[in-house]
Amino acid sequence: MASTQTLLSPAELAYLHSSLSLTPPIRPDGRSSTQFRPLVAETGILPGTNGSARICFADGTEAIVGVKAEVERTKSALTTTEDETVHRLEGEFVEGLAGAGGNSAGNIDEEDNDGLEGQNEWVELSVEIPGYRDDDSGTVFLSALLTEALLADGNLTKKLRINTRFHWKLYLDILLISPPLSYPLPLLSLTTHLALLSTRLPRLKSEGDEDPFFDDDWAAAPYLYPRENGTSGKATLRPPISLLVMAVGNNIIFDPAKEELAVADVALAVSIGDGKDNNSNAMDTDTRNLRLLSVRTIDPPSRLTPPGVPNATNTAYGAAAGTTAQKQPEARAAESEAVEGVWKPPRGGAKPLVMAALVQKVLEKGGVTDEVLDALDAVELE
Amino acid sequence: MADRRRINGPAGATLPPVYLNEDAQPSDDSKISRTRAANAIRKLYLKTGVTPSASGSAYLEIEAPGGGAVSGLKLSCTVHGPRSLPRSTPFSPHIILSTHVKYAPFATKQRHGYLRDPMERDLGTHLEAALRGAIIADRWPKSGVDVIISIIEGDQDRQTSKSQELGSWETMNALAGCITVASAALADAGIDCVDTIAGGVAALVKDAGDNNSPRIVIDPIPLEHEKILSACCVAYLPTRDEVTNLWFKGDLPASDMELYTQLVETGIQAAKSANLVLVECLHETMG
Amino acid sequence: MPLDTSAYNLALLRVDGRRWNELRRIHAQIRTQPAADGSSYLEMGHTKVMCVVTGPSESGARRVGTTGGAAAGALGSGGGGSRDGDAEVVVSVVLAGFSSVDRKRRGRNDKGILELQSTISSALSSSLHTHLYPRSTISISLHVLSQDGSLLAALLNAATLACIDAGIAMTDYVAACTAGSTSTYAANDEKADPLLDMNHQEEQELPGLTVATLGQSDRVIVLVCESRVQVSRLEGMLAVGVDGCKQVRDIMDKVVREKGRRMLEEGAIEKGVGLEDMDLD
Repeated sequence: MASTQTLLSPAELAYLHSSLSLTPPIRPDGRSSTQFRPLVAETGILPGTNGSARICFADGTEAIVGVKAEVERTKSALTTTEDETVHRLEGEFVEGLAGAGGNSAGNIDEEDNDGLEGQNEWVELSVEIPGYRDDDSGTVFLSALLTEALLADGNLTKKLRINTRFHWKLYLDILLISPPLSYPLPLLSLTTHLALLSTRLPRLKSEGDEDPFFDDDWAAAPYLYPRENGTSGKATLRPPISLLVMAVGNNIIFDPAKEELAVADVALAVSIGDGKDNNSNAMDTDTRNLRLLSVRTIDPPSRLTPPGVPNATNTAYGAAAGTTAQKQPEARAAESEAVEGVWKPPRGGAKPLVMAALVQKVLEKGGVTDEVLDALDAVELE
Repeated sequence: MADRRRINGPAGATLPPVYLNEDAQPSDDSKISRTRAANAIRKLYLKTGVTPSASGSAYLEIEAPGGGAVSGLKLSCTVHGPRSLPRSTPFSPHIILSTHVKYAPFATKQRHGYLRDPMERDLGTHLEAALRGAIIADRWPKSGVDVIISIIEGDQDRQTSKSQELGSWETMNALAGCITVASAALADAGIDCVDTIAGGVAALVKDAGDNNSPRIVIDPIPLEHEKILSACCVAYLPTRDEVTNLWFKGDLPASDMELYTQLVETGIQAAKSANLVLVECLHETMG
Repeated sequence: MPLDTSAYNLALLRVDGRRWNELRRIHAQIRTQPAADGSSYLEMGHTKVMCVVTGPSESGARRVGTTGGAAAGALGSGGGGSRDGDAEVVVSVVLAGFSSVDRKRRGRNDKGILELQSTISSALSSSLHTHLYPRSTISISLHVLSQDGSLLAALLNAATLACIDAGIAMTDYVAACTAGSTSTYAANDEKADPLLDMNHQEEQELPGLTVATLGQSDRVIVLVCESRVQVSRLEGMLAVGVDGCKQVRDIMDKVVREKGRRMLEEGAIEKGVGLEDMDLD
């Protein structure tokens, strides 16, 4: 999807590239390099879901995310289930083996009893983008990216555990309503963030390992991401967000539009979590404790743009048309030389330092991430 | 979507019998510990030109450590092209690269169907991003090239029945292998690249034992360590000193930028080591 | 939970408290998305549908694109009026996973969805003046956010509103609604009352049909009946359905006029010569 061809001519690309490389960069829509597109957000729009959110970007792209949860029996090769004798046999066999192995059985028991760990299969995320099949590589990449960020710290799956025999299965359906005008990652990620924040699961009334039953009162349902003072107030632990950031020349640009991405040297998707450290329970509530969860290179569509032809080699502008034998080495030479003002798609990769700088910029204290999280805090939750 | 065109195995997963090794000491820890140095990768075997019918091909094998507790990685890559595109395709000023990564049905303990699952498609996208930076694409307008990788044997521990599904950390190792083997196959096919491209993995791991603080190792095997905190896979162009694809995953405090940079640096080190084998292999083919 | 049909006769009230000839609340908006050529949002009771229209645009544009050529293979299907001289109407319906009470994942080749798409496509291409846009594509993408019966009717109405917003020339509104009967087929009750606008619960148990008419005329352009019902009851159901369509048409007309008036007031569009003659009440 990132590789969707943009219909810009080499001349336009060259112009865009040079204006974005200026200090400070001049972006086509007049934003500063760290500024996001304005957006309208609302949560709790669908009463039939456990949590939902909708975000509209000013350029007209819109996404809706619905979260639905279902109770599921926890499957495990190691715990015996009453009705499946085959499983039991296997289970006993393996357990016996593990017991012989000594240490590992201890580990497994510990895990079951503590009830701390969740399994990654408990979260299912699907992305629907109009005009693309759901097994299109771009769609798969996006959903893998979003899933990866959600599961990275294991905090989400931990919350889904009911008891040793049952767990919640969380389905996240991400719909892009409008056609993808720009790379939809920031939009989808922010919408998912808000939808998860507004997600509530019915209050559990049963205790221990008995079959779960729940409180009918929806008003009493606790939030999946608990809030500071009961139902109002900020969430203490937040779902991750993924930001798109790109580099052009010496500039780092956040939330690029489609045209800007078309001239990117390198583009990264950086996922950041916000919440308390797994190890230290004492947490200062005022300062955010940002965590880096995932970084992925996005294949910039700039590599697929048509190159410009400098006048020196353009036969239409009086350059001598050589014979084929001569033409070949000349063409090779022309390939490697950069001519001022002529668009040339980037080749090769990015210096490790540039990549590090991009990530650094995202993680900066009091930087863009804080700004985005502050803005999301301001969204009135249902 | 269900695969209806082939005869598939039974839908429910069957657990292969795991026999207790007679020699194994009952007190022996089922985990194997890392015997390599923290900055050493496993031994690689790389050979090009293994599939005569393809324009270019390569085979990569990574040794299985720990006396067969973990299966090694075996990859075969074929490159078809550059070849002309079908008539209906619109004009393209570049070569159109398409990548397929597929686990063989028998590659891991869990059977893989014939249709590519999302994880395999995701690997394919990563590989595409990694290779696209290396190929000089504008030398072949109106043409296409297919890079097809089959993972014949996946990196997976054989002993524990705990992790049924392929852990995400193993896929990073597989991706690094895919990148290296694809580079060799592209060179074998004679497709112009700016540089060789090699993949490397580095991870921040916590070893068993209480007093061990997390350390960074290259080419991690999940079984060898108590826990992998975070890992990164890089696709690296050694002579240009550039990264075409970076995939980091885990949980790091944002304040500790140093650790992240170090991890990526170590990943590059791993890629450099793999590149030595790659260059040696290409030299052999030339000579 | 089975629907208790016996209770109807006591008070002549349906499960949700409506009389036999009452519609559910219909709420509609047009131009919900600034970036799209045409867009609409429609609620019929708890059925909520969004529609985005792109086009008329050059045909074949969908085939251009991502690497590998066919990778961007069009999701939508059910092209209508694909003859060279006419615009093609491509409809794609996405049922969100969270739309029904129990989450159900539906594949892209789900036969039910394909049928919905082709019904909507053929209905709209008979109303749109497709001959005015030769060799072009009008693509309609519909998102179902919440389902509570009368899905096809809601989709048709939303698509009509979005086409109007997109400014595509059309003969008249395609207004749709459902009609049913108060007792099941098995009950064989000759005196059963017809019902207007069925919700999900009624749809599960009772015979019903979806009907769409063209504007204020009695011309039926869609009639879908997928349940078993005595022929003698059909006529009454159809009559009630057609009557409901007229009510739906009036509601949609009001929405469009209101939006048009507001846009004039806000100065979003200039009052043209043609507009002066129009009756903008």
